[in-house]
Amino acid sequence: MSKYLDLTIPEIHELYVKKELTPSILLEEVFERIKARKSLNCLITCCQEEALERARELEKEEVGGLLWGIPILIKDNIVTKGIRTTCASKMLENFIPIYDAFVVEKIKKAGMILVGKTNMDEFAMGSTSETSYFGPPKNPWNEAYITGGSSGGNASAIAARIVPLSIGSDTGGSIRQPASYTGIVGMKPTYGRVSRYGLIAFASSLDQIGPMTRTVYENALLLNAIAGKDQNDLTSSSKEVEDYTALIGKDVRDLKIGIPSYLVSDVVSKEVSEVFNHVVNLLKKNGNTVELVDISYLKHAVSLYQIIAMGEASSNLARFDGVRYGYRTENPETIDALYEKTRSEGFGEEVKSRIMVGSSLLSGKNAKLYYDKALSIRDDMRESFLASFQKYDLLIAPTTTTPAYQLGEVMKDPLKTFMDDILVIPANMAGLPAMNLPAGFNQNHLPIGMQIIGAPFGEAKMYQLASFLEKELNLDLEGGRK
Amino acid sequence: MKKLSVEEVKHVAHLARIQVSDEEIESYRTRLGALYEMVDGIHEIEGYSEEMMITPVEEVCSLRKDEVGAMLDGASVLSNAPKTNGKFIEVPVVINE
Repeated sequence: MSKYLDLTIPEIHELYVKKELTPSILLEEVFERIKARKSLNCLITCCQEEALERARELEKEEVGGLLWGIPILIKDNIVTKGIRTTCASKMLENFIPIYDAFVVEKIKKAGMILVGKTNMDEFAMGSTSETSYFGPPKNPWNEAYITGGSSGGNASAIAARIVPLSIGSDTGGSIRQPASYTGIVGMKPTYGRVSRYGLIAFASSLDQIGPMTRTVYENALLLNAIAGKDQNDLTSSSKEVEDYTALIGKDVRDLKIGIPSYLVSDVVSKEVSEVFNHVVNLLKKNGNTVELVDISYLKHAVSLYQIIAMGEASSNLARFDGVRYGYRTENPETIDALYEKTRSEGFGEEVKSRIMVGSSLLSGKNAKLYYDKALSIRDDMRESFLASFQKYDLLIAPTTTTPAYQLGEVMKDPLKTFMDDILVIPANMAGLPAMNLPAGFNQNHLPIGMQIIGAPFGEAKMYQLASFLEKELNLDLEGGRK
Repeated sequence: MKKLSVEEVKHVAHLARIQVSDEEIESYRTRLGALYEMVDGIHEIEGYSEEMMITPVEEVCSLRKDEVGAMLDGASVLSNAPKTNGKFIEVPVVINE
C-alpha cells in the first residue's frame, strides 16, 4: 500500500532526515506501482536489482540534499553504464553502454536512484511513441490514447505517479508535447544549458535534455542538478547555473507577456483555445499585460525543422553500420552488404524513411537548395524571437493543437505526426527554453497543456510564471493514477 | 500526393546505405514522396537573409586542455562489438588479395 510515494520531495526528504523512511522502502512502492501498471508499457528496462543495491549503499551514508534517495527514470536514448540502452530500436536491442551520460553522472552524484529506462519513439523519431520497437506506451488517463512522443514513456510513468522525476530529450517538442498530453510538467532548457554528452544524437543542433516531473518545483530542482558546463560537450554553456527554484512562489504582476500570433491561429482546436484563453484572462486579471506578437516564419516551421532534423539525423545515424556495436546482419559477404543489410534489418520504417530523405537533402545541389536555405531562415526566426524579448518578459502559447488522440490514428496519416509538433518546434529552431505546464482538460477529461517560452537562459523566470499558474489553476492532476 | 519513381527510391536508399526490397519500394514511393512534399514548402519562402544559423550557441566554443584524461580500455570497447577475434573487430574482407 502506497504511503510515501505521493508525498512531495521535501516531505520525503524530511522523513529521510528523521530516519522514519529509507530509500529501500520507497523503492518497494515504486516497484509495486511498476508491476501494477505494467499495461502502460512505459519502461523498456527496469533495473530493480541495481536500484535496490544503490539504495542499500546510500543507506550507509549520511542523508544528502533534497534529491538524495529519490527514484528517477531516464529516457532510453541516454546512455547508462552497464544498463541496456536501446533507443527503442532493434539496432541497439542488446547494447550495454560502457560509460554514463553527463546527466546520469550528475543524478548519481546527487544521490538519486535510477530505476529504469523509459519507452520512446525509435531514435526519438515520432510524436506518438508508436514507432518504438517495443510497442507504444499508453496514456495513463485513458490507455486507449497515445502518450505523445518521443518521450512518451517518461510522460506515462510520471502521469501514473510511478516515480516523481524523470529525464527526457526534446529535439522538436519531444518533452513538451507528451507532457501536454499527460498532464505533467516538462522543460526543454536553453540549448547548451544541459550537456548532451551521452545522449544518442538525433539532430545535434536541436537536441536538448530536460526534466519531466509532477510539479513545477520538482522540475526546477532536477534542472538545478543536471545543468552546467561539461568538458565533453563543447556546446554546453559556461554560464553560471542559477538556483532555478529561486523565483518560485514570487508574485506575478506587471509582467509583459507576448503570444506568437501564429501559435493561436486556426491551427489550434477549439477545446485547446478555450483552456488557453482562460489562462490569458487569468494573467490579465492579475495585472499582467498580454499581447499578440508576430514572429517570422512560424508557418513554415515544420518544413524548416524537418530539413534540418532529417539532414542531421542521416549524418548522425551513419554510425549504426553493424561494425563496432549494435545489431549486425547474419553472414554478410561484403562490407557493403554488411552496412546495407544491417541498416535495413536494424532500423524501423520511420527511421529509415527519415535517413533516406535526410541523405538526399544533403547530397549534391540539394544541400544548398534545402539545408543551407533552412539554416538561413532559421537564423531569421531566432532573430525575430530575440527581438520579441526586447519587449516581452516571456512568451506563452498552447503546447499542442489538440489533446491526445487514440492509438493507431497516426499510422493512417504519417504527415499528421509532423503537423502535431507545429507549436513546439519553433523553440528548438531558435534554441530557446520552453516548458509545458498543465492548463486544463477537455470534455473527456484528457489533459491540455500550455507552453511558456523564455529568452535564452531565462528558465528561472519561466518557473516563476509556471508556479504562479500552477497554484492559481489548482488542477487535480492525479487522474493518471489508478 | 507526390510519389517518387522506383529509380529515385533506389537512389536515396543507396545514399543512405539501406537495402530496400522490391516489395518495400512501392510503400517508400508514397512515404518518401510525402516527406518531400512537406519539405518542399521551403520553396515558397523568399526575402530571407543569407546569414546561416549552424548552432544556437552564441558563446565562443573553447576547446578543453590537451591533456590525457580517462580512457576506455580495449576490452570494454570490444564488449559491444558484434564479432571480434578477441583483440580486433572482425568485418568481411575489404581488400582484394
